[in-house]
Amino acid sequence: MENDLSRLVDTLPGLVWSALPDGRVDFLNQRWREYTGLGADEALGHGWLAAIHPEDLPVLLERWRGILAGGEQREMQARLQRFDGEYRLFLFRACPLTDASGQVVKWCGMNTDIEDHTRAREALHAKRAEALLAGEKRMLAETRRLSSTGGFSKRISTGEITWSEEVYRMFEFDPAVPVTLEQIVTRIHPEDVASFDEMVKLQLSGNDYEHEYRLLMPDQSVKYLHVVAHARRDQDDQLEYIAAVQDVTQRRLSEEALGRARSELAHVARVTSLGALTASIAHEVNQPLSGIITNASTCLRMLAADPPNVDGARETARRTIRDGNRASDVITRLRALFAKKDTATECVDLNEAAREVIALSRSELQRNRVIARTELAEDLPSVIGDRIQLQQVILNLLLNASDAMSGVEDRPRQLVIRTEQDEDDHVRVTVQDSGIGLQPQTMDRLFDAFYTTKSGGMGIGLSVSRSIIESHHGRLWATPNDGPGAAFSFSIARGSRETVDVTGVHRIGMIRTTAVVDAHHVMRNL
Amino acid sequence: MAIRSLVSVVDDDESVRESLPDLLREFGFAAEAFSSAEAFLASACVGNTRCLVLDIAMPGMSGPDLQRELTLRRQAIPIVFITAHADETVRPRMLEQGAVECLIKPFSDTALLAALNAALRVN
Repeated sequence: MENDLSRLVDTLPGLVWSALPDGRVDFLNQRWREYTGLGADEALGHGWLAAIHPEDLPVLLERWRGILAGGEQREMQARLQRFDGEYRLFLFRACPLTDASGQVVKWCGMNTDIEDHTRAREALHAKRAEALLAGEKRMLAETRRLSSTGGFSKRISTGEITWSEEVYRMFEFDPAVPVTLEQIVTRIHPEDVASFDEMVKLQLSGNDYEHEYRLLMPDQSVKYLHVVAHARRDQDDQLEYIAAVQDVTQRRLSEEALGRARSELAHVARVTSLGALTASIAHEVNQPLSGIITNASTCLRMLAADPPNVDGARETARRTIRDGNRASDVITRLRALFAKKDTATECVDLNEAAREVIALSRSELQRNRVIARTELAEDLPSVIGDRIQLQQVILNLLLNASDAMSGVEDRPRQLVIRTEQDEDDHVRVTVQDSGIGLQPQTMDRLFDAFYTTKSGGMGIGLSVSRSIIESHHGRLWATPNDGPGAAFSFSIARGSRETVDVTGVHRIGMIRTTAVVDAHHVMRNL
Repeated sequence: MAIRSLVSVVDDDESVRESLPDLLREFGFAAEAFSSAEAFLASACVGNTRCLVLDIAMPGMSGPDLQRELTLRRQAIPIVFITAHADETVRPRMLEQGAVECLIKPFSDTALLAALNAALRVN
């Protein structure tokens, strides 16, 4: 029986041991002794500690003392030296053997070799991490390619520049040759060299920055690059920039095309409304001309009478002069409306702007039998903006309102132009008609380009008007009346010059667009 | 002294209302001026007006509106339309609708006199 038990203990797949309550080892099985190559006489007591890896010894001893003191944690790991000198990782487990009173009389334990298992697991983890990293790298590369983004770093003290592959591709430089600042500058668009130099100077400050510049490639094509740079200190406390470079050429070209299209639309809209305006202007000039000719004819006849009617002639001559001045006033208003100013932004009195537009379109309104009424607020604050553009919007709203009432026969064709102070320091202009009104289903399309409800309309007036108002940081909207008709209003801030962005261009660096409506062209069309 | 034929002028433009009557009087007519079709209809001149010099585009009742109203009232007054809207289609349209003449502003005194003479011959 004793022998059977001894054989069993020696056969167990582990290193089996037992210890006295004070920790002294009093038994080590055969496997233990064979593995360590230590004899029982060497290892019993505290001799076994010689087989523990010196680095693991302090932790193991502490844990062993804890176990002996009644600690719950009865497992520990440590490297155990094999007979041939190799250390392998073992899991040490201990269990107390107690008597009837619960007193520990012995500690029994087994050490299991977990070296291979642990190695395999670590290898698996490493492999997974590697796969994850490779996946992320691939994804990053793909994302960079898709978004045309590259990266670079620059050490300010040495001027040493490191580029990613993408940046080499953007500049079309050989990736095998380290890049220098001098080399980069040869690619910068001549118009952007000054701002590029400034950016390089800015790098000395150690601030984060964003910059946009153009490249002029050997084939004369132009690329737009956008840089976002972050400053940091490297391990030697040297200033270093890490930056992302994005090729935004496509976006910029689309924006420029959009800007051009918008200014062309604005021009077409102006010429279109000019068609209606021209008839009105002709009428305004023909009225006083008619008076001049009639008065002059009357004057000649009075002087030719016998006796000459000198008093009557004087009166008609006086009227001739007055009508001449009246014709001249029309021309003055017209020139004021289309005069080209050096600056597109100025103080605009919207009351005065509205009055001029009404005066010029008076006969167009009259021809449509529209009764126009003004409700212009006194002490209306000026706004900053492009007067011609704002008058174009008012004119557009006015002509729209007139058109909306062209089919109205059962009620007066009333039109109200109202100016008022709006909330939040805004000034509001409203053009209200009593026309056909707005269909609920068309409300959300009203301001779309090329959407029209008029048979002769192009559907660009309102969309251009809205883009003009939005470039003044304002709002243009439509409201159905309680009764028949609708009201179109815009509201813009009585802002300072800094808040106006009339051309709709908001850029950094050297990118410019031209979206200026040619007033001379308009004059030629008159 | 022969009674002068009354020519009435209806035009919302003040300088026309000031200048035309004087010229008409120089021609030898009696003249009255009204600022709207409604004002003319409300006046005592409707019955004895021999010729109407009538603006086409006016706020409220237009020239052609007045023409129709007079036809309804069986007041056959010859009409010379005047307009500052230089539109080629206006004159033929007005003549077709029974006007004696349609003059585009600005017009000469001789053109006006010829039109008035034609209108009075209709009478």
